[in-house]
Amino acid sequence: MTLSVFVNPELQFSATTFFAKQHKGETCGANGLPLTPNSIILFGKAQFLKTLKNPYLCEYLDIIRGKHERTIVVSQFCGKPLSEYLGKKIFSDSDIIKIAFQLLTALSVLHKNKIVHRNLSTESILVQNSGDIKLFNYGFHYMTNNGQLVSFPIIKLSYAAPEIYLSPLKSHIANSKMDIWSVGIILVELILNKSLWSSLKLSQKIRKILSFYQCGTSVFEKIAREHNCFDVYQNLSAELKHIIEQCLQIDPRSRPTCEDLLKNEIFKEFKVVQRNNPSKVCEKYQIFTLKELYHWWKLAGGDIILELKKQGLIRSSPPILSMPCLVMLDGTVLGQGRNPATLYESKIVQMSLDTLYQRFKHIHLNFCYPLLHCKSDIIAAFDPPHYDTKALPLIIKEKDPEYQFHRIILFRRLLHGYPYTRDMIRKEVEKDIPPLLRGEIWAALLDIQPDYEEIYAMIDKETVTTTDRQIEVDIPRCHQYNELLSSSEGHIKLRRILKAWVHQNTQYVYWQGLDSLTAPFLYLNFNDEAKAFACLSEFVPKYVHKFFLKDNSAVIKEYLAKFSQLIAYHDPELANHLCDINFYPELFAIPWFLTVFSHVFPLYKILHVWDNLLSGDSSFPLHIGLSVLTQLRSKLLTAGFNDCILLFSDLPEVDIEKSINYSNDTFKNTPRSITTREHQNEEYYKTTEYDISGVTLNDLTRERCPRISATDVVDMIRNTPEKILLVDIRNPLQYSRCSVRNSINIPCSSVTYGEHSIENLGQYAQILKNSGDKIVIVIGSTDTDLELFPKFLLNCNIKKVCVLHGGFNILISVTPTVLVSQKFEA
Amino acid sequence: MEHTEPHSTEPEMANRQGAAQRPNGAQGKICQFKLVLLGESAVGKSSLVLRFVKGQFHEYQESTIGAAFLTQTVCLDDTTVKFEIWDTAGQERYHSLAPMYYRGAQAAIVVYDITNQDTFGRAKTWVKELQRQASPTIVIALAGNKQDLANKRMVEYEEAQTYAEENGLLFMETSAKTALNVNDIFLAIAKKLPKYDQNQGQSGQGQGRRLAEGDQGAKTPGNCCK
Repeated sequence: MTLSVFVNPELQFSATTFFAKQHKGETCGANGLPLTPNSIILFGKAQFLKTLKNPYLCEYLDIIRGKHERTIVVSQFCGKPLSEYLGKKIFSDSDIIKIAFQLLTALSVLHKNKIVHRNLSTESILVQNSGDIKLFNYGFHYMTNNGQLVSFPIIKLSYAAPEIYLSPLKSHIANSKMDIWSVGIILVELILNKSLWSSLKLSQKIRKILSFYQCGTSVFEKIAREHNCFDVYQNLSAELKHIIEQCLQIDPRSRPTCEDLLKNEIFKEFKVVQRNNPSKVCEKYQIFTLKELYHWWKLAGGDIILELKKQGLIRSSPPILSMPCLVMLDGTVLGQGRNPATLYESKIVQMSLDTLYQRFKHIHLNFCYPLLHCKSDIIAAFDPPHYDTKALPLIIKEKDPEYQFHRIILFRRLLHGYPYTRDMIRKEVEKDIPPLLRGEIWAALLDIQPDYEEIYAMIDKETVTTTDRQIEVDIPRCHQYNELLSSSEGHIKLRRILKAWVHQNTQYVYWQGLDSLTAPFLYLNFNDEAKAFACLSEFVPKYVHKFFLKDNSAVIKEYLAKFSQLIAYHDPELANHLCDINFYPELFAIPWFLTVFSHVFPLYKILHVWDNLLSGDSSFPLHIGLSVLTQLRSKLLTAGFNDCILLFSDLPEVDIEKSINYSNDTFKNTPRSITTREHQNEEYYKTTEYDISGVTLNDLTRERCPRISATDVVDMIRNTPEKILLVDIRNPLQYSRCSVRNSINIPCSSVTYGEHSIENLGQYAQILKNSGDKIVIVIGSTDTDLELFPKFLLNCNIKKVCVLHGGFNILISVTPTVLVSQKFEA
Repeated sequence: MEHTEPHSTEPEMANRQGAAQRPNGAQGKICQFKLVLLGESAVGKSSLVLRFVKGQFHEYQESTIGAAFLTQTVCLDDTTVKFEIWDTAGQERYHSLAPMYYRGAQAAIVVYDITNQDTFGRAKTWVKELQRQASPTIVIALAGNKQDLANKRMVEYEEAQTYAEENGLLFMETSAKTALNVNDIFLAIAKKLPKYDQNQGQSGQGQGRRLAEGDQGAKTPGNCCK
């Protein structure tokens, strides 16, 4: 029923394929590292093309790397090439002017972005049913770094400007004026309604074009005469003739730019139409774009490589046939080279969307317009039931086309309304994040301000600093298994972001690990460096505040001490064992927390961990750390010091979904004040007199059980009394005079601490033994020892032991009171 | 007593060295040594350890943050020498962590990159620091790594050798990539270390305690490093 939404002649795409040039001989660069494969360089460079959006340009959708330097380019493809209409259709002057206008508009967008088509011909102009055109394959020359990354020439013989033939074969120059010449040739073809020099051989064509250098008169006139069309030339309107003659100037400097040409009077009527749609406000909101459709197509089983194989564009041959006959000592390979004819395939393979249509045909139209605000139950009830995936694992949900359809449609809406929809985004994120929109959603979660681009543009990213050498050696080691991050573009971008960050944060310095921390943001915002930088800039104060101070030892030590306490709080047995073998977090957890696991896990895992982190606060990494230990628990409990440390030097595979679920769980079930730190960023935490403050690092490292704030304790006494066990350790006299409602009294002086046996507590032993998941809150006063008793409980493997910060006295001023007097009750 | 067998490659490793096997399975002496790697970042410390311990080489070996710990055993005549290797972060900023790792170490490999003169300067600073702060009996080896890039050499072999002789250091140029001199430098250190039997006493856990003591030592100057 909704199929009409998906079936649209413009929502079609195709793939083309070619091979990047293979490195010959020596495969090491000057730094001793292997040369980056050309297909990777190309992969990085081509990413930018995906950002170009214009009604007269086919949108680039994807770059895929195949085996042996094969590159596959996926792009929008709709309509028919103009070349197929030549000689078959009559082009009126106004048709030609329209095509010229749209072509020049498309080219001006490219030229503004420093992209030269250089391969322009009637084949790369696609005519739509509406008569409008779309330029196709315009990024080929650009993505191959002006042809340097491929071993075949990129040229359209009849359309190439004469200076291309004059310049040396390997000069790899690209000048936007070359495209202007090609525009001229295309317009001539349209006017003469035939392709030029179609019967000539390659060498003759080149000779023809070079002969223009001797042509004293108009090139256009000469061409018209040679094609027996002088009459057409003579009868042509003066304006059109003038435009073509300007384009076909032999000297590139005399040719006008696209902008110049577009100023011409004959294009006036189109310009008015264009001006009618100036602002974003008027822009029609699309419920989804081709990019999303392509994503769903892949999820629904679409496979570009498979299609190319079916069409015979990718032929696999037995490996033995691609073995070299001879390999020289210097690495030069001889024989069994690739057939040069297969390096480039001119065929364009259109992808069939039938499977996707089939899969989506039952999707209700309402789902394309999800209700965001609905106060009426009646209207809400009309909404068809939601697609239920709750029971499915995340990995399946991310691969389910229908589910991703719903999520993407919803999140696109919400993101469109950002920042006004900030709270709704936060709420939806708790379910999951659709991978396709992760970059934008993260930016929203991090509250990126709308002026982020201007801010980034103004930062000095170039001036040489003393940090450069370190950044330089770290970048080629940072997540290099990833195609984007290992590409030259990736290196350049990462370097600029890091330099900008160091420049912008004078209170901080570059610590190794900052590169890893930046990598996920760059990976997700590869075409929006400024956004990656903005994300990093927001992330640091929120999650790793002060971690990058020149002297960060107090901050890191506090964080690690809190980690030890959190382990003790949730897993006393493990904490006691690690303590017994002197296995401190200092030995293994610094990279965990300094880089929030970005130096520890591969990218795909980091993304899922951070999806959850971004809904949490700066204590969340502690919980992830705990979840990792929990997964290794049984190994750790039986291991000695050396085995433990070996385990962490080469961390075994961690089940990340399990880990995330566990950390979400402990994060939700741990009172906030348990992980409160002196060095946390106050901006993100509201504090009152009942919260924890003034705890020194010495206190913290000495106390094995965490403190809890009066705020949290009072809150639980009032709201969840069944979840806590209050243990008052003051003397019986104080206790009977005044105590907390429902607390038990175990005077700390009455306990024999000699051996770690809970039975020492006499009548209360059973209560503590059965405390289960209850939070055991130890309440003392200034004259009681606040370490010995909690430590005793910890040693007895009692879970969730914490100490009320400020002791009993802090509760006295709480109103309404939570205290009772035993005397009066008795 | 706990004796850990770190890796399955261990016997093969011993064979490769041509060192004597334990005769008919009878236990010879077992010695455990703590060894620390120091040097400027990206000179190849982690790569040397990886080559020595696992026989592998990764072109894009990731940077070390904090430190990494690995063990490897070599056989030397009738003695089994077990190295407990602390591979440290190279960046100057992580310097404050270094004493935690070199304190109590019986051996150190100070690594520089032969294609970078600055890293050699940094290596000299490390040697000085070790001579001042570490155990007086520490065996120090100087490794000029990336020998496979000898055509881009910036530090002359003779220069480093002279420096090593003057300071009583073992010296080799190594290549983690081609494995040149990697096992040799560890063996040379093993030969130079005083060997006493730890078969009966020490266990793996003892090393941990020693490190921890060292850690406390950092807070009370004048403990063991003067």
